[in-house]
Amino acid sequence: MKELNINGAVMQCYPLSAAQRLHYYTIRYCPTQVLCIGTGLYVQQDVDFAVLKKAVYAAYKMFETMRLRFVQDEEGNVFQYIVPFEEREIPFEDYSNCSEEEAHAAMRRRTAVPFERFNSPMNEVVMVKLPGGYSGIYLKVDHMTMDSASIIGFNKAVLENYCHMKYDYPEPAPLKPYIPQLLKDLEYEAGSEAKKRDEEFWAAKIAESEPMYTDFAGQGRLLTQRRENGNPNQRYAMVVSQSPEASISVYPLEKEPSMRLMKFCELYNVPMASLLLMGMRTVLSKFNDNEKDVTIKSCVARRGTLSEKYSGGTRIHFFPMRTILEPDVTFLEGIKAISAEQNKIFRHANYDPIELIMKRGQHWKYKPGTSYESISLTYQPLTINRNTPDMPDIAYKSFWYTNGVAGQPLYLTVMHRPEDNGLNFNFEYRVDAVTEQEMEYFYYYLCRVLFRGIEDENRTIGEILEMI
Amino acid sequence: MLEKLKGIIENYVDVDPEKITPEARFIEDLGFNSYDFMSMLGDIETEFGITVDETQVADVHTVGEAIKYFEELQG
Repeated sequence: MKELNINGAVMQCYPLSAAQRLHYYTIRYCPTQVLCIGTGLYVQQDVDFAVLKKAVYAAYKMFETMRLRFVQDEEGNVFQYIVPFEEREIPFEDYSNCSEEEAHAAMRRRTAVPFERFNSPMNEVVMVKLPGGYSGIYLKVDHMTMDSASIIGFNKAVLENYCHMKYDYPEPAPLKPYIPQLLKDLEYEAGSEAKKRDEEFWAAKIAESEPMYTDFAGQGRLLTQRRENGNPNQRYAMVVSQSPEASISVYPLEKEPSMRLMKFCELYNVPMASLLLMGMRTVLSKFNDNEKDVTIKSCVARRGTLSEKYSGGTRIHFFPMRTILEPDVTFLEGIKAISAEQNKIFRHANYDPIELIMKRGQHWKYKPGTSYESISLTYQPLTINRNTPDMPDIAYKSFWYTNGVAGQPLYLTVMHRPEDNGLNFNFEYRVDAVTEQEMEYFYYYLCRVLFRGIEDENRTIGEILEMI
Repeated sequence: MLEKLKGIIENYVDVDPEKITPEARFIEDLGFNSYDFMSMLGDIETEFGITVDETQVADVHTVGEAIKYFEELQG
């Protein structure tokens, strides 16, 4: 911790956490990268915008990390601090006379504009009127201050404040403070026993054997790079690019089949993330000559305690989730093996993911920018209206807008739709690395594997690979 | 042990303390997810001075089963 004089006021400033450094290094080493996340939450009713503005200000008061800013000291080290009060003007934009596509294109353009990094607010709220009788808020935040769980929490707080102010519904519960959680993370990183245990765990994991790169579009990328490098045994592939232009495609899975996946998870007591990972690794295996050794980058939200769940901020760490499964393993056995591996990772998920990737690179001597993972998975179980019985029955629409750039070729985020709890498969992809057709193909095969698997959990991987 | 475990559980899920009984299932009744549960094991290890095996703990579904398993580890 350090005291810094910022605009004439002495502020308590704190170093960045590992989760924040992960984003900061991305922009430091890839200056064209943008860390903004844009979302829209719209309700189908006549919104009282004067009340909505007050509801947003009340949510700013509740969420410390919506008041988080960054500063550099004289040596160039980056720190963070919280301003006590935030009541900036909240603009209103009326798109009711545009087409829906035009309205969302405007939000996407807005999301592509990065924030000033230092001594400046790291979020923006706009009150919006859309065509079709929907109104609400567009929210843009910097990923170093908020992750998807925090964004959902903020949108939910705005909605609850609005219902409280307008319709006398109960006031939302206060949130937990952010700084104590940050201090816990910093304490962990400062040579704690827990960090030493995690270091040992990941060192042993790295040393087990070298993983194998499996591409979402087949073996072409790896085989080409093997030829170019004159190394027929190369197991990693270059995945970064100088051209980070990105786009998002959303594939909504209807309510009924989504429910079938959820019921399967309930019946066999397995997490949805493990089912999705099993589906993805089987598709990657299919596309890569039935490869048994498949690794996917898996997101861990790191929100266990109530203080972690309700203190905002950005807490996501990514870890390699490696699966080596023989063809005679059944679908359910595969999910359980993945689940057991995920549980081990959860126990060591506070470890700095950048340190892990650097150590893996040093151990297997691969070049910077190369990887064993072609795709990452984030499963977001939270929705805006989950666990809020006191909310009135309102029709919602929610959107996630791309910021136009991506470091990796393909990110899959699976989220529940607030309106019917069905699953949306959001593919964010780098346009130089993935074609729309390759992505559709991947989604099509993912669904085939998932539904072949859940209709008979005793089917083996080998049988599923043949069937699809 | 139940009282101490209750105190730990209350840090992880927003649930009426009266619902934390030996019969209560972590996921279905108390609202745990797998990350919450694995994360809680760290606190349990510190509180009870034990080392939990992640593979064995996969068979623990209720608070009562957890108490039995932790007591066995304590010897």
